[in-house]
Amino acid sequence: MTMTAPVTGVEAVIDDGRFTGESIAQELHSLLMTTDATEEPTPTAEAPVAPAKRVISADTRALFEDQALQYMDQLYAAAMRMTRNPADAADLVQETFVKAYQAFGQFTQGTNLKAWLYRIQTNTFINNYRKNQRNPYQGTIDELEDWQLGNAESVTQSTSTRSAEAEAIDHLPDSAVKDALQSIPEDFRLAVYFADVEGFSYQEIADIMKTPVGTVMSRLHRGRRMLRDMLADYARDRGISSAPAATGSKK
Amino acid sequence: MTDCGCDKAKAELEEYLHNELAKADAADVAEHMANCVDCTTEHQVGIVLTAAVQRACKEKAPEELRAEVLLKLREIQATH
Repeated sequence: MTMTAPVTGVEAVIDDGRFTGESIAQELHSLLMTTDATEEPTPTAEAPVAPAKRVISADTRALFEDQALQYMDQLYAAAMRMTRNPADAADLVQETFVKAYQAFGQFTQGTNLKAWLYRIQTNTFINNYRKNQRNPYQGTIDELEDWQLGNAESVTQSTSTRSAEAEAIDHLPDSAVKDALQSIPEDFRLAVYFADVEGFSYQEIADIMKTPVGTVMSRLHRGRRMLRDMLADYARDRGISSAPAATGSKK
Repeated sequence: MTDCGCDKAKAELEEYLHNELAKADAADVAEHMANCVDCTTEHQVGIVLTAAVQRACKEKAPEELRAEVLLKLREIQATH
């Protein structure tokens, strides 16, 4: 995954021929000054809650469009993992961009814009969508023991079983992987998405999910374990795996 | 250099995969894997799983959404 440096946005602006170098410098300067002038604490720590009452100039909009909109596909994919349906996912992404746009003056140029957008989207999801979803065990999932989740990890697979497993996973249709991902508990699913698809560091995921790094590691580990077990089952049921019934990978 | 053994390697494989280990630990795991088919295959499953998840999550935002967002941003700017 590419972490886009802020310079890219500026270059894009130049390519568009909309600004001279000088006006870009002024634009960036005024953005930074706006940030400095506000009395809020470190703007990167928290995603904004209230829309900032501040004039948004056409230049700022251009800058935002150049820098932020490129993440729309990724934010949408994440929104699909969060809401699990296209209509809510589209709404969530739109809301995320509106909030981010209104708070763009608080974004510190030179810091990770993608992570900032994900923080806003995750907050928005938790506040506006999650409570509408049926998810009886949400919030307590981290405390469940592995055996309660149905995967005891006393796995004694042979090497040949493992290489057959790798082979099988490699040949599964995307839809099977997506279904498996959508069916694991939300916190696990998001940790897996952030780490494996977005390539965020554990610390960045901890910041986005507002949870200790240890919890991130545990969610990631258990999420991946569940995926693996489900995919092994799927492969075996379809006869995709040439391996003998994955001994031990089941409860 | 002494081999760190399967227990340490297996325990740290996921962090190794996500590039979260300190250099020295990552080197230990890599060194162990060079001589251990079992841990190497386990690592291979991890790599393949990550790749499968990446493939499955390659959604594109609908074109209407892009248009709606742009429109919304312009609206907001106009009201300021």
